[in-house]
Amino acid sequence: MKKIQFQQGNSLWKDARQRLYRNKAAMAALFFLVFMVLACFLLPLFPFIENPNATNLDNIAAPCSWEHPFGTDQLGRDLLARVLYGGRISLLVGLVATLVALMIGLLYGLISGYIGGKTDALMMRTVDVLFALPFIVLVIVFSLSIEEPSRELTESVITWTGWSRESVAPILGLVPLFIAIGALGWLTLARIVRTQTMEIKSLEYVQAARSLGLGHLRILFKHIAPNLLGTVVVYTTLAVPGIMLTESTLSFIGLGVKAPNSSWGTLIKEGADRMEVSPELLIFPSLFFCLTLLALNFLGDGLRDAIDPKTAKD
Amino acid sequence: MTKLLLRRLGQGVLVIFVLETITFFLVRMLPGNPFLGERKLPRHIMEQLNALYGLDQSAVVQYMNYWKGILLHGDFGPSLVREGLQVSRIIAEAFPVSLTLGIVGMLIAICIGIPAGMLSACYRNKWPDAVLMLLAMLGICIPAFVIGPVFGKTLGQLPGLSVAGWDSAMCIVLPALTLGLINAAYLARLTRGGMLEVLSQEYIRTAKAKGAGGMRIMFVHALRSGLLPAVSYLGPAFAALITGSFVVETCFQVPGMGLHFVNATTDRDYFLIQGLVLCYGVLIVVANLVVDLVLIALNPRLRAQGTA
Repeated sequence: MKKIQFQQGNSLWKDARQRLYRNKAAMAALFFLVFMVLACFLLPLFPFIENPNATNLDNIAAPCSWEHPFGTDQLGRDLLARVLYGGRISLLVGLVATLVALMIGLLYGLISGYIGGKTDALMMRTVDVLFALPFIVLVIVFSLSIEEPSRELTESVITWTGWSRESVAPILGLVPLFIAIGALGWLTLARIVRTQTMEIKSLEYVQAARSLGLGHLRILFKHIAPNLLGTVVVYTTLAVPGIMLTESTLSFIGLGVKAPNSSWGTLIKEGADRMEVSPELLIFPSLFFCLTLLALNFLGDGLRDAIDPKTAKD
Repeated sequence: MTKLLLRRLGQGVLVIFVLETITFFLVRMLPGNPFLGERKLPRHIMEQLNALYGLDQSAVVQYMNYWKGILLHGDFGPSLVREGLQVSRIIAEAFPVSLTLGIVGMLIAICIGIPAGMLSACYRNKWPDAVLMLLAMLGICIPAFVIGPVFGKTLGQLPGLSVAGWDSAMCIVLPALTLGLINAAYLARLTRGGMLEVLSQEYIRTAKAKGAGGMRIMFVHALRSGLLPAVSYLGPAFAALITGSFVVETCFQVPGMGLHFVNATTDRDYFLIQGLVLCYGVLIVVANLVVDLVLIALNPRLRAQGTA
């Protein structure tokens, strides 16, 4: 008897993955980003990367050499170490603030789109109003105004857990930035999620689930939210560069990441001040920063083309 | 159409009100206070200063007084850090600077971005398109605070150009160019997208079939609706100019609102922050209204919708 061969159909995600693999720019961007994340988070664990805050006044503003591949700054600190540690902070802020924005935007959009009617109209008008506010101005004022509470939080975390100040303070010092940028960066995502939710809500399988007597929460989170995954992944990727740009802009004008932390933004600021004497102080942090943003944008575009071919550019 | 505009105007007033309210209460939550100078002031002097500026009252009373001052007397309050200077004076001096910078920057952005986008759409998927779009992507990813210092270092050495200050007409060149190039990148991408969408429509095919030349199709048939996405970006772009102006004014030491805002937040100059935020709010609302008007002029469908 002849065996019947079943041709396994490709799932949506498999199709998307194959489309992504074929996109050379997006794949190059993906590899670059993985490399960058590994370099920033793992490389400093090795002993040949110096302490980024160790000053050496005998070796000020040294040019590139074997001991200091990127040279040293005006206090003799190793620039390579500073760029890597700065990248940690920049990537961390970019990632966490995006996650905060994602949480808010996703919930807001889901609720607004699912309930519909007057609630939806009210929620969307609110978004319209927030959209018109000058984002950066609010981020500045908001991040400064929650500095005091977050310092108290740091103190209580230290007393409660008994962790050392050195290990806790740098991360918790970033909390105002996470919250301020995230709390104000969710608007676009909320709009997109809402539109998609409304579309999916009217599909037949949702009606079927409804008529089988499923509760609203279950429908919303079990049947609607998973179908938003593609859109959400795409727009989250595309939101990261914008959020990293906000962080570094704030740091550049001196209102973002504060000492003892330094991000790519603060390094670029220091480099810009000393550009005349040692241009590499500006060049290396800028290069790392710009390439990362470039890679994120290419990856985001590639993901959009792969997951959502309808809205692809050409 | 009037209805649409009235609704937008009402929304604008709401935006300004919300913005100012949020700012007012957030500013009061900032750690520190405006009187922490280099010298530590004795307690009783601090109390007298607070009483003088009404800062000893509850936040709600201060809030009411603030609006009363603005609406009844047009009084934005005094600067708390720069003694004897009214906020309205500071804004009156800084506003024209920022506005000139913003408008020149925007003009540069439009003059570079829109032609670049059109060119890109013309040569879709050929090398000029690839080159232009790569440049645009670079423009988006290289932030103002990298372009600014680099321009200062390279172009700033040219005779006649100045890298800092605001005392001659040439001072505007570098800051405006920095602002302009960044927005040009976004505009180019949006124009390309808009043009491509229009060029794939059937009325363009009809025009081609009737023998209209490439130039005629581009400028007469496609441009008007192809520009819509770029024009709707101009409203938010005005807000982006504010962000840019923080950086650019800090880089080039331009005494505009951005520089004042950054200094005022570090100094905790409550009234100055509030005044500047109010000013930004009004600017953005006006910019959005103007963009709406242009959109209505460009898009007949919007006009019909407004009257219905």
